[in-house]
Amino acid sequence: MTSATAAPAAVATAPRPASTPFAVTPLAVTAVGAVSAAGIGLDALGRAVAEGTAGHTDPSGLGEESLPPRPVRVVPDLPVAELIGRKGTRHLDRTTKLALVACRLTLDAHPGQTGERSGVVLGTSTGSIRSSSEFSLETLRQERPYLVNPSLFPNTVMNCAAGQIAIRHKLHGVNATIAGGHLSGVQALRYARNALRQGHADRILVGGVEEFCAQSAWGWHLSGSLAADAPVGEGAAMLMVEQEAEASAAGRPVLARVLACETGYSAPGRLADGLASVVTTALERCDRWPEQVGAVSYGATGLTGLQRIEERGVRTALGGRSPARRLAVKESVGECFSAAGILQIAALIGTWQHTTAPAGELALVTAVARDGNVGCAVVEAGHLG
Amino acid sequence: MPSTASTLTTEQDETLRAIVTDVLELEPEELTDTSSFIDDHDADSLLAIEILARIEKDLGVAIPQDDLTEMTNLDGVRAVVSRSLKEAADV
Amino acid sequence: MSERGTRRVVVTGLGAVSSAGMGADEFTASIRAGRRTTSAVRSFDTTGFPHVHAGEVHDFEPRRWLRGIDPGQWGRSSQFAASAARLAVEDAGLAADDLARGRAGSVMGTTSGESAVIEELVGAWAADGLKSLPPDLVGSAPAGRIAAAVNSELGLSGEALTLATACSASNYALGYAFDMVAGGDADYMLAGGADSLNRWAHAGFYRLGALAEEICRPFDADRSGILTAEGGVALLLEPYERAVARGARIYAEVLGYSVNCDAEHMVHPDPTSIAACIRAAHRSAGVEPEQIDYICAHGTGTRTNDATEVAAARAVFGDRIPPISSIKSMIGHTMGAASGFGALICCRALYDGFLPPTAGVERTDPDLGPGVDPVPGRARPAQPRIVENHGFAFGGNNAITILGRVA
Repeated sequence: MTSATAAPAAVATAPRPASTPFAVTPLAVTAVGAVSAAGIGLDALGRAVAEGTAGHTDPSGLGEESLPPRPVRVVPDLPVAELIGRKGTRHLDRTTKLALVACRLTLDAHPGQTGERSGVVLGTSTGSIRSSSEFSLETLRQERPYLVNPSLFPNTVMNCAAGQIAIRHKLHGVNATIAGGHLSGVQALRYARNALRQGHADRILVGGVEEFCAQSAWGWHLSGSLAADAPVGEGAAMLMVEQEAEASAAGRPVLARVLACETGYSAPGRLADGLASVVTTALERCDRWPEQVGAVSYGATGLTGLQRIEERGVRTALGGRSPARRLAVKESVGECFSAAGILQIAALIGTWQHTTAPAGELALVTAVARDGNVGCAVVEAGHLG
Repeated sequence: MPSTASTLTTEQDETLRAIVTDVLELEPEELTDTSSFIDDHDADSLLAIEILARIEKDLGVAIPQDDLTEMTNLDGVRAVVSRSLKEAADV
Repeated sequence: MSERGTRRVVVTGLGAVSSAGMGADEFTASIRAGRRTTSAVRSFDTTGFPHVHAGEVHDFEPRRWLRGIDPGQWGRSSQFAASAARLAVEDAGLAADDLARGRAGSVMGTTSGESAVIEELVGAWAADGLKSLPPDLVGSAPAGRIAAAVNSELGLSGEALTLATACSASNYALGYAFDMVAGGDADYMLAGGADSLNRWAHAGFYRLGALAEEICRPFDADRSGILTAEGGVALLLEPYERAVARGARIYAEVLGYSVNCDAEHMVHPDPTSIAACIRAAHRSAGVEPEQIDYICAHGTGTRTNDATEVAAARAVFGDRIPPISSIKSMIGHTMGAASGFGALICCRALYDGFLPPTAGVERTDPDLGPGVDPVPGRARPAQPRIVENHGFAFGGNNAITILGRVA
């Protein structure tokens, strides 16, 4: 919830108003997996973002016939056979494959067991827009509209990737798909936090996925919502999150802590204020102060109009100060829409591992969307060994 | 050649074989006339419907959904398709 | 690790946009009468489809119901959701300003999001290539617009969350909204779902052999499948104390819920996993199986669903399965909105005193075993106290909510 009690930094040391909602239990991140134009794995992402290098820019491997004239960032070689297997992958679409690869990387990096009491919360926007629109096109192109391939039908349903993850890894806990677009990351974390609190799982894979395809590339290009020089990207990222007590009891290192994740909704023209308000609430709910924020991992990079709104909102919440470190993961991996939020967090953890960031650095992960959605997660660096 | 008495041409029979091996992701030699799609080749009902759908499309024949229960192996598929082709010819 | 919120949560407002009418009263009257409101599809070209019936919302006029948003800028599912939410708030007798000033948000479920918008885009693609996609339609395509439309329509500043857990999504939404209100994160939440009819689902279900020709008859020996459908539904949730303080009509209390995943197969439900979900929902609500007076079934109208759902119920309830009926027999399968419509009719069943019927049952399928009471025909007068609402989905996503009468 957004709070109307946005405390300016000048009174940062004053007591908090009594209306502040109760404090929230932090989420422990015990594994990360990422696949992006920077390459396969967290290291590749962390290096690209820390060094400011662009990811893979040549989409010719994807076999798309017609693409708009604009820069792109794509995953060069998706190691499907190595990381997912050969059997039963013929009908999986790129969205599901990206999600399964990110899942495999995360599980491989997770020192504990998964199974039965594990869940999945996955961010999307439309599911695979390529799958649903191609399936729909078949109904127009075939001699009879129903001469479609039934095995492709599940790909048109938005929770396909989350369902496949559960099936392949036998995860019987909560299995939720969040259609959040730009807000997918923070919304998925909120959903997962509640699900852990309610006991719907003991540990949850929280992720986001977005595939590059001609349909969405043209969509971005024609809608004008992405700056002309901003690349269209793709990727998937996943975090294994659990209660810190569980991780500690099992001796699993905590890579990062999600201390708060707040979302709100703003009226048109009030997006920057709305974002400032959720940032303030998020900091209040984990009892941190604006001065303690060392880094911001931005979400609206390259989005027409929204990039400046996001920067203004953050600056307002931090009392006019700009944070020491600015991360813009989309400069390396392109506009990854539903995957962006978790990629922003993965990029933070990746750079923490890659550089000598201050121990326990506090970072904001922000998101803003044209419809009115705003969100902010507060993440703290953990044990990065 | 088809092992059951059927009216399928060699070409049609090869098409059926190709569809089944493709849908079930099999090497050609793995599929026999009587090997069970479900027990021997890990098929499920979605893949069975895909086989039916591919046959309808590639051979231009309509197969009643109820006939799926007979399509448990290659011989079963041949029998169903032969019948459907015959019924179409009789109309 | 379960940590329950401390506030009791009640439903005080109901809104429906459906083939069975606009608003909860029209919808409830139609369901109680056992009226079938599915019909021949008009919203897309059905040429070449052997089966052409569905639960379409004919002649929907968004401008008649929406006051906050311009329907031209939103897709059909968003219009359904926002209209249903507006109706729910009016039904709750809550002043729009009071709601907007409160800590209020929305959580809406969907299966195919803005599928009608996507199919319009596909039409442009088919005609003139991807470079001809209309830009304004592109902006309306994300499914997350559904909850955004609710917040925009009502001026809400809390979260706007769209859950895309397919055909159990509304129950997912209701469960999450319940937690937010119970735990004090929100004072009002609108929970529900929305979906639009589309060609691709019609073709897909037909190809799977799951689409009925004209009549959906769950639990009947002669059932032949589902009918696709569309609509929007919203329930207004608030804390019990607040509802009492403002003298609100309380339809029902949300007692608890559970979600789990079969993790077996994308399209085949698993009775063991569903039974586990029912038991967990009972634990969450603090009730025993004997206390359940009625089950609002997922009841899609396929043989597989009926057999699985009854087997799961039998595993939990033994020989005493509560009356179990399916409103899909009247309105078809509204996909992401389905368990929301189920929750709505459960609320009215508890408040008005009846059991919703299954229309079209002539002979209950003997293969389902003894003791299956699908409440055939018309609603049955009764005074249910605690009811159970089922939602199962593609991908094995099960979600079950438990609602109770507030004495």
